[in-house]
Amino acid sequence: MKANIIMNPHPMTLGPSDTVATAADRILKHHLRHLPVVDEQGRYLGTFSVYSLLKLTLPKAVLDKHGLDNVSFVTESVEDLAQRLGRRRDEPVKNWLNIHEVARPDTHAMEVMLLMLHGRTTSVPVVNKTNNRLEGIISFWDVLEKLLGENS
Amino acid sequence: MHGSSEAASAVLFGLNPMWVAAILFALTYVVVMTEKINRAIVSLLAAGLMIVLGILNQEAAIRGIDFNTIGLLIGMMLIVAITRQSGVFQFLAIWAAKKVDARPWGILVMISLVTAATSALLDNVTTVLLVAPVTLLITEELRINPYPYLFAMIFSSNIGGTATLIGDPPNIMIGSATGLTFNDFAYNLAPVVFVIMAATLIPIYFIWGRHLRATPEDRQRVMQFNEHEAITDRRLLKQCLLVIGLVIAGFVFARFLGLEAATVAMTGAALLLLLANFGHDAEHQSKHVLDAFNEVEWITIFFFVGLFIVVHGVDGTGLLKLLADKMLALTGGDLSATAMVILWSSAILSAIIDNIPFVATMIPLIKAMAPTFGGPEGLLPLWWALSLGACLGGNGTLIGASANLVVAGFAERAGQPIRFVQYTLMAFPIMLMSIAISMVYLYWRYL
Repeated sequence: MKANIIMNPHPMTLGPSDTVATAADRILKHHLRHLPVVDEQGRYLGTFSVYSLLKLTLPKAVLDKHGLDNVSFVTESVEDLAQRLGRRRDEPVKNWLNIHEVARPDTHAMEVMLLMLHGRTTSVPVVNKTNNRLEGIISFWDVLEKLLGENS
Repeated sequence: MHGSSEAASAVLFGLNPMWVAAILFALTYVVVMTEKINRAIVSLLAAGLMIVLGILNQEAAIRGIDFNTIGLLIGMMLIVAITRQSGVFQFLAIWAAKKVDARPWGILVMISLVTAATSALLDNVTTVLLVAPVTLLITEELRINPYPYLFAMIFSSNIGGTATLIGDPPNIMIGSATGLTFNDFAYNLAPVVFVIMAATLIPIYFIWGRHLRATPEDRQRVMQFNEHEAITDRRLLKQCLLVIGLVIAGFVFARFLGLEAATVAMTGAALLLLLANFGHDAEHQSKHVLDAFNEVEWITIFFFVGLFIVVHGVDGTGLLKLLADKMLALTGGDLSATAMVILWSSAILSAIIDNIPFVATMIPLIKAMAPTFGGPEGLLPLWWALSLGACLGGNGTLIGASANLVVAGFAERAGQPIRFVQYTLMAFPIMLMSIAISMVYLYWRYL
């Protein structure tokens, strides 16, 4: 079985200039963890996820790759974190994308599962190799349904 | 001392060894400058070619490596690698910021002083790696532009490093080559470093400092930081402070104890490794010791090794003696004029090229001047001129010192990039001011 059989071919997507507020709204309303972001031609740009929202509540200084590994001295309250997220609500999502490893439509099922395991993600975008268009998205749930459905 | 006896039996193809050495040497400089090939690869390859082409033999090459510099660098890198895990540097930065009630200009001054003091005792790159993240967190909490803080951090790391034997690689090399001690450096360079640090903050205040504002609420958030929480391991912290104390005492009394700097640093590193690993099982020990060894900047170490061989090869051909004579002819053998030429040329060159190969070249060149100025004692003002020029010159451009590039990396990722031209326009004049102060100091005290 290949990626194009397992995937959901009509995932909910975002545009690069959609705001953080719009994305947060959809994530909360539909209980989604990952929203792929595509440009006007349908090309995959990255994924806005619940982790992007977590990052938006934190100072940039603690996200830097050489940044602080211990932040126990910072005594910010939940309100402080919420305020920071609130100040960034009108930023475009394109500043906060995660670039996940992607599957191709003909990627085999086992490789898709390894991508999920190694990337510690529950969803893998399926992207066309030649034109970089997003063909669909494979969530953990799609995989489970196929696996358990075929066994039964 | 070197000369023909150290050279291999025959130079390949019968070429003039001085020319071969000069070309290899110049190529090394140029390739290192272009940054297309890793500098450790360049210097090791050039060193290999020096031997293969018969400029010097392997025995002479190994004699050319200054193991005192290498040992001191590795020892201090190991001590820092372990100490940084204790969180003491974050503690210092937060403590300093709170001492001034989280007022923006006060924080800039305090962070600069912490950076300068830390750089005087540690490697500059390590210092900024430790201080920059906390500084960025503080400016973010205060919602103010981090640019002036990072600019001041670059300057204070290079200025602070000038003050001591162990603060900056040029000083380590000069100290090692001349036998000048930790105390000699502190006694002769620290006074002018204080003046230069204070003078550097003046333009920074007028350009940025007086415009910095933060709201009381934002300042309150920084005041609520609990710096004691930054200390992650109290036992380790005590061990580190003990060993650093012993190492500094070792440097101060080095002459009295008859010890070289590398012995002090490496023994200190070994002692700290022992204390930090004592009582742990073998597997844990292997992991921790390997982690510490991995933090040593091997690229820098091997760059030094290759470079020492290349410079030793060039020195053996008499080229550097020739250049020294040319320089003396230019200055008429006058000590003041020679010191000024060394001070200003090292400053301007160090702003553009890596100061490590420059200083490695200048050391034998200055040593060759000893007869003109009445022996090694007479060279003292020239060593201070070289140190001040090479260390402070690094402030002139963004590529002048490796710490500058590390800070620029932080700025870039924080979304406040430090641009090369914009930086140079501000930094070069401030650097020239520091050299002018050094010039007055050298005249007043030595010339």
